[in-house]
Amino acid sequence: MNAVIETRGLTKTYGTVHALAGLDLTIPKGGVYGVLGPNGAGKSTLFRILLGLIRPTSGTASVMGGAVGNIASMRRMGSMIETPRYPPYLTARQALKWLALSHGMSGDVDIARWLDRVGLTEAADRRVRGFSVGMLQRLGVAAALLNEPELIILDEPTSGMDPPGIQDMRALIRSLADDDGVTVVLASHQLLEVQRICDRVAIMNKGKLVREGSVSELTSVGARLSLSVTPIAKALDVLGGKGRHEGAHVLVDTPRAEGPAVIRALVESGVDIDEARWVGADLESIFFTETGAVQTPEAI
Amino acid sequence: MLIDAIRAEGFRLARSRTTWFWSILFAPLISLALSVLGMVFMKANEARLMETANMPPEAMEVFAKAPIDMAQALAETAGKLDSVLLLPFVLIGVATLYACDYRWETWRLISARNTRPNLLLGKIAVAVALALVAITFMLFSGVIESFIQGAVFNRPLAFEATGDLVGQFFARFGLSWLRVVQFGILALLAAVVTRSLLAALFIPMVIAVAQFFSPQMLGPIGMAPDAWFAILVNPSAATDALKMAASGGMEAAALPAGLLLKAWISMGLWTLLPALGAIAWFKRQDLSKE
Repeated sequence: MNAVIETRGLTKTYGTVHALAGLDLTIPKGGVYGVLGPNGAGKSTLFRILLGLIRPTSGTASVMGGAVGNIASMRRMGSMIETPRYPPYLTARQALKWLALSHGMSGDVDIARWLDRVGLTEAADRRVRGFSVGMLQRLGVAAALLNEPELIILDEPTSGMDPPGIQDMRALIRSLADDDGVTVVLASHQLLEVQRICDRVAIMNKGKLVREGSVSELTSVGARLSLSVTPIAKALDVLGGKGRHEGAHVLVDTPRAEGPAVIRALVESGVDIDEARWVGADLESIFFTETGAVQTPEAI
Repeated sequence: MLIDAIRAEGFRLARSRTTWFWSILFAPLISLALSVLGMVFMKANEARLMETANMPPEAMEVFAKAPIDMAQALAETAGKLDSVLLLPFVLIGVATLYACDYRWETWRLISARNTRPNLLLGKIAVAVALALVAITFMLFSGVIESFIQGAVFNRPLAFEATGDLVGQFFARFGLSWLRVVQFGILALLAAVVTRSLLAALFIPMVIAVAQFFSPQMLGPIGMAPDAWFAILVNPSAATDALKMAASGGMEAAALPAGLLLKAWISMGLWTLLPALGAIAWFKRQDLSKE
């Protein structure tokens, strides 16, 4: 596995607070990688260390095969940390030109192409002081893409965006990974969004890695089959110890792969099935289980 | 890599119209406007002023019709370009240049792809250029003032640039520039340590005022003006000594032996130490909260 980011025993301490507590993380090349965790889990601290904004207390971190701070490696990466800000008197086009010069690119970099890619063509010559948060986010993504990076790190890329903007951003992120071969690493609080666009995820809590794996792997473990059946008693007989009656449904603890066989057995035994669906194994429930965070009614 | 930082800073500064106005245009324009007002006032009251001047009419006539030596005026103005009155305006631009990335939280956009010393050195290079442009504009305003003075008082203009005068001009201009750059470097240190635009603006101003008054405080404590300590703590005195030496003549000859070496060391230390301090501080600085 070709790693684009690797951390070993990464620790960052602020006084008595351990923002990162010996984090070992390997992010493979390719695809979209999500970093999840409640507030204070250490996601932003991790990103800031990877970008060289802060120094770790101990441990090591490498980006694109070079230590953090190795400029040659860092120039193969793009990033957007929180909502970016720019000198307010610059237009969007000038802001990108300024960043291109700052990053050692020639002044004739194709800025119009990146503005078009993030949907800012019409606002290209407007001063950024009048931009909404969503527009600043889009410009931030364009800035991160300017040097055609192999790796892009995005912290809350859809924060402050309206629903169409979020949809566009999701499509852009997937297209970067699928069409351009860019490895995208993103942090987001939008668990559904992460489940939709990420190939792999890492769940962090209290500065440590608590779960890591592909989204399909994680969501296939611990899922239960929820059935709406009649008669319920007969269904429970057929299922034996695997099934239990809960409300109007029968819940079956079984691996996803055995789901069709369970349904077939019930149908062959004369049980009518009105509805069948997998419950409880989405990224959200895994997140709450692993982090011990309390699910609010809204979150449920 | 350093060239990337310089090009980016230059590009950004060139588009900041506010900075251009306040740090480059405002002081020369105001200075010119005040001079013209003064000339108009004098012209309007010329007769009364001549009556009260208590000079023979022949002498007044010669004085009033004497040519304005622009070369001499330029050389004199060149030595005053680091004045405490001009400094705040140059510092507006310099402080903005140094502190803006903290204010706008833009370090996170640019710090990953260049070394931190290069980022600061790029800013210093552009600030040095900004200081040069600012004092050059001030000098030009002096030239325009001479033309207006000639027109208002019907005095002919002369330009007698002897070799000595040209040398004096460049030496004074260079020393004034170095002095402004020196305050710019102090603004850099203040900006990096405090992350504040206001601190970057006011701390060098406070130091400038303190240096203005410090020679008067050293005398009462029994310290000779050419003592090592007096020169090292007061680069203002060092600049004055160097400008005096550049002027030549009796004043230069009367300078104490060894004073110029002390003056150059003082100027060097006040320029290099804050720059090195700022770079050392910045290299270890946490940029997560600009």
